[in-house]
Amino acid sequence: MIGLLGPNGAGKTTTIKMACGLIVPTAGTIRLNGYDVGRQRADAVRQIGAVLEGSRNVYWPLTAWQNLMYFGKLKGLRAAEVKPRAQRLLADLGLGQRRNETVGSYSRGMQQKVAIAAALITDPPILLLDEPTIGLDVEAARTVKDWIAHLAADEGKTIVLTTHQLPIVQELAGRIAVIRDGSIIADLPTADLLARFAEDRFEVRVAGPRSGVAGALPAGARAEADAGTTRVTLRDADQGRLHEFLGELRARDIPLLSVTQAQPDLEEIFLRLIGSSASRVPPRAGEQPERAGVTP
Amino acid sequence: MSAIAIPRAGAAGLAPRWFALRAFGTEAGKGLRLMWRRRFMVVVAAAAFGLTYLGISLFIGGGHLVKDLMVRTVPALLAVAVANTAAVEGTGGIAEEINGGTLEQTRLSPASPQLQALGRMTALAVEGLAAAVVLGIVFVFGAGLGIVFVFGAGLGIHPHPAVVLPALLTIADALGYGLIMTALVVRVPGIGAITHVANMVIMAFGGMLVPVSVFPHGMEIFARFIPTALGVQSANTILAGHGLAAAWSDGTLPWLLAHTAVVVTAGLGLYVLNIRHAQREGGLSPR
Repeated sequence: MIGLLGPNGAGKTTTIKMACGLIVPTAGTIRLNGYDVGRQRADAVRQIGAVLEGSRNVYWPLTAWQNLMYFGKLKGLRAAEVKPRAQRLLADLGLGQRRNETVGSYSRGMQQKVAIAAALITDPPILLLDEPTIGLDVEAARTVKDWIAHLAADEGKTIVLTTHQLPIVQELAGRIAVIRDGSIIADLPTADLLARFAEDRFEVRVAGPRSGVAGALPAGARAEADAGTTRVTLRDADQGRLHEFLGELRARDIPLLSVTQAQPDLEEIFLRLIGSSASRVPPRAGEQPERAGVTP
Repeated sequence: MSAIAIPRAGAAGLAPRWFALRAFGTEAGKGLRLMWRRRFMVVVAAAAFGLTYLGISLFIGGGHLVKDLMVRTVPALLAVAVANTAAVEGTGGIAEEINGGTLEQTRLSPASPQLQALGRMTALAVEGLAAAVVLGIVFVFGAGLGIVFVFGAGLGIHPHPAVVLPALLTIADALGYGLIMTALVVRVPGIGAITHVANMVIMAFGGMLVPVSVFPHGMEIFARFIPTALGVQSANTILAGHGLAAAWSDGTLPWLLAHTAVVVTAGLGLYVLNIRHAQREGGLSPR
């Protein structure tokens, strides 16, 4: 699974749509399982299922069953082939009992499940998922996330996933590409990307608002409000500075909640990448600096 | 998360001809299902159309229905009903698909856009014909226009089997017009409003108010370029009991053939062209 990340307007959706053959690239070629999307469109689109961002993807006036039968047959399957897949997909997604109700009467999460089922109806080897969890409540988003994980791990699908929910990407994706202004600025295996930005640090959580620790912060430390508490990050994992800071907290009688050793998460790495004008990924230890986007 | 074992789909190895037929049927079937979902609106639209025609007929007849005239304008009413449905539902449907993102999903099929367009228009033909049949029955029997089964037995509608030919060509002509309007919406979303203006022109010049043959010569020539007008003229010739040969010799049938061929080809060509343009410009989704 590849996580395709980028800020709004970076070109993620355009990239996905170009891969689907829905937008013609101005230059270059895209191959899906070896089929050129531009020249072998019919074969190329047989390789993919897609859930596109900001659209319904399926016909809301029709039932879930009618939608799956329609998309299955439109993509060349016989009714006898579509039926068992549609039955199983709807049952596994918890829609079996309501398959004959119109999609418009479903909740947003159920509608998204139908869109995913429609994308899977022909059992394509590649899935392009553009913001599949957008607008979903926590439970529905969890279900969709579990399905994506299952499809990649157990069904062997190649999945390109775009989302702004970075913890999902960090958890699921084996590789991450970051796009900014239409250009790839990082493209690395997830572990490698995290490793390149790794730095030992301490996270100190204290009770009370951020203003309470303002005068006690050592140079280079960052304080963030977090659900009624304050999280202070000491970036260089210096034990001496940590003890000094803890002493300051004690002196000011600020209640200490926790002290942990931490690493930057994907969200922080992403923000650093898209905020960096240099567009570079740090080199591995012992390596010369290199241009971001070089696939290892 | 439960374990999922989805049955594998077979290879999509249908012969191209069968695949094309299946895709066409699937698209038409979807159109009919969507029509069924809005069946109430279909009935309301047909009723409104019938009432409009009734009002115009009463206005022209000074408060009375002029049966001699209605015998020749009812075929136009039916043709205009099909053309109107094809254009209004075609443009509305494609705009809805663009805004809902389903047009993009349908383009993830190996089926060609022209095949999908044909399926789409076939469903609209059924919808338009359903309205036309109901309107035809209401006015032919309700207004007492009468059907004359003995050829040449005076005024009335002579149901000669040969009328099927101009009728089919008129339906194709109307669908071609609907497809042109549909294709234009793919390129310019706001153009849907023009559809209503175009429909009024067809209503005015297609023979629904008065037969095209009673227009002044110059206007008659202009009217023959309007979709369905030639078909109605040709059908009227046959329904008046003059036969297919008369429709051919007066030029309406051959010109109808040519008109239909041009309009259908233009509709399909424009649709494919505009779908490709939308793919270049990212116009298959909401803009």
